[in-house]
Amino acid sequence: MNRRALRFRGYGFAYWLILPSFLFMVVVHFIPMIQGIWMSFLNLNQFTLPKYLGAPAAGFQNYIDLLTNPDNPIRAGLGYAIRNTILYSIAVTIGVFVLGLGAAMLLNRKFKGRGIARTAMLLPWVVPSYVVGILWGFMWQRDNGIINHLLVDVLHLLPDKPFWLLGSNTILAIIIPTIWRNFPFMMVVFLSGLQTIPDELYEAAKIDGAGAVQRFFRITLPLLKPIIAVQLLFQVISNVYSYNIVAMMFGNGAGYPGQWGDLLMTALQRQTFGYWAFGSGAAASVLLMLVMLGVVAVWQRAFRSELNTE
Amino acid sequence: MKTSKFWHFIANLATWLLVLGVVFPIVWMVFTALHTRDEILGGINTLTFTPQWHNFVDMWKNIDFLGYFKNSLIICGFTMVFACTFALFGGYALAKYRFPGAGLFSTAVISTQMIPGIMFLIPIYLMFLWINKTIHLPMVNTYWGMILVYTAFYTPMSIFIMRSFFVSIPKELEESAIVDGCNRFQAFLRIILPLAVPGMVATCVFIFLTAWDELMFAWVLTTTSDVQTIPVGIRLFVGQFGTQNRYDLLMAAATVVTVPVMLVFFLCQKYFIRGMTAGAVKG
Repeated sequence: MNRRALRFRGYGFAYWLILPSFLFMVVVHFIPMIQGIWMSFLNLNQFTLPKYLGAPAAGFQNYIDLLTNPDNPIRAGLGYAIRNTILYSIAVTIGVFVLGLGAAMLLNRKFKGRGIARTAMLLPWVVPSYVVGILWGFMWQRDNGIINHLLVDVLHLLPDKPFWLLGSNTILAIIIPTIWRNFPFMMVVFLSGLQTIPDELYEAAKIDGAGAVQRFFRITLPLLKPIIAVQLLFQVISNVYSYNIVAMMFGNGAGYPGQWGDLLMTALQRQTFGYWAFGSGAAASVLLMLVMLGVVAVWQRAFRSELNTE
Repeated sequence: MKTSKFWHFIANLATWLLVLGVVFPIVWMVFTALHTRDEILGGINTLTFTPQWHNFVDMWKNIDFLGYFKNSLIICGFTMVFACTFALFGGYALAKYRFPGAGLFSTAVISTQMIPGIMFLIPIYLMFLWINKTIHLPMVNTYWGMILVYTAFYTPMSIFIMRSFFVSIPKELEESAIVDGCNRFQAFLRIILPLAVPGMVATCVFIFLTAWDELMFAWVLTTTSDVQTIPVGIRLFVGQFGTQNRYDLLMAAATVVTVPVMLVFFLCQKYFIRGMTAGAVKG
């Protein structure tokens, strides 16, 4: 039996193999998504809820409301949530890349205790993100929090203890823990990428007189570019859809994160289920999905050459 | 050579400072868990204290933490078994067969990861209510409702992890098994499955860790404590508006949910990291 036969004959078995995952995806992904799009054109609230998909049609009213009607519950604070999500996603993505690559390069050397350092830096990856929210929310407390204690009482870096969970500092209070939680994964990815770069390249560059900075920009970065391309998309998506850390940091899941702490996912979830505004919530979800599809399209265009090198 | 030694020192210093900063919050969590409630409310300013080990006993009594823990174990455990099994089949199909629709299936699998959770959450919630109303099968506040949703959510990523493992198993192994008279199914069962064990370990760890950490769907789809998981229940230590303020027990509970996960992770670190980075590096 040759290779061709194994590949092409009797692929019926393959359909049986994918059947269970396919069915689950249809029931929990495909059908709900179609319903969600349908619901975004319905007037679906606490009164029409029993009618489910037969609720009165609303045409584009949900979308128009979302964009123009200031009384729409989903719209309340949505502007802040959008601004914060953009700032947060950019800052976390950059932070995770810089810290991840930095840590990977530090660990990709020979030194005493390398194994311990590597293991220690992996730790935040395994801390559940709801614990991250609780823990950092606790550490950010103004009067008794350890961060203010270290910054003000011990290191004297600031004259007064700032509020971290109130006002514009909040955005920092949600960005930093997320970077802390997410950078180890990127570190591991970069580390395995760095290990595929042959030492001879660096040796040759050294002999040709290239400095450390040049070696980084001419060898390391270009060779990591395919990894960066793939991870960039996953980072942006996971940060835009971030929920747990912010949800748990403020009022342990029940509070409003404030004008500088609210993110799109926390806002949409809270307002949709808080006001039973399912039609408007669905419309907002559809818009968000379209925006993210646009992001994916832009990404594909920007990294076409890196993605085709496989 | 002198400058090289200097930079090596700087790099070492930077490494250990980074390690210190990275580990500190976790140390602080455990450290806080060993204090009394009053010490915490007054702010911990000193390193000398009497460890309050009984916090790790009290946390199970103050709220029904054992119940939440049990719910999390049941939901995450079943999710892990189902999703890993489906991923085993799906990943194998994608790695070893070229069938019409394979490309489409891959695209569908990856697309599920691009769609915001809220897009599914609203319809799934309403669909669950509707199922209960029409055929009187409760879905909200049930284990199977949560397991159904989680299994579907974590299968796609798992398929890719499993696929990357199967791709690395040489085709010749199966071919020789088939030449020796095994059928396709026997070849899979006897030759491939034993080799795929490391991949399955990685996939299971991934699924369990992710399900253990899920909050948004659990928050909406469970409202009674008999099915709620730890992320939903843990807040009760401090109450919604800080009415209880048992930060000592909260941190003890946070430690208890983190440490076992860490142990499992470090026991199968090698497989897990290989599985998680295979997809990330190859794209």
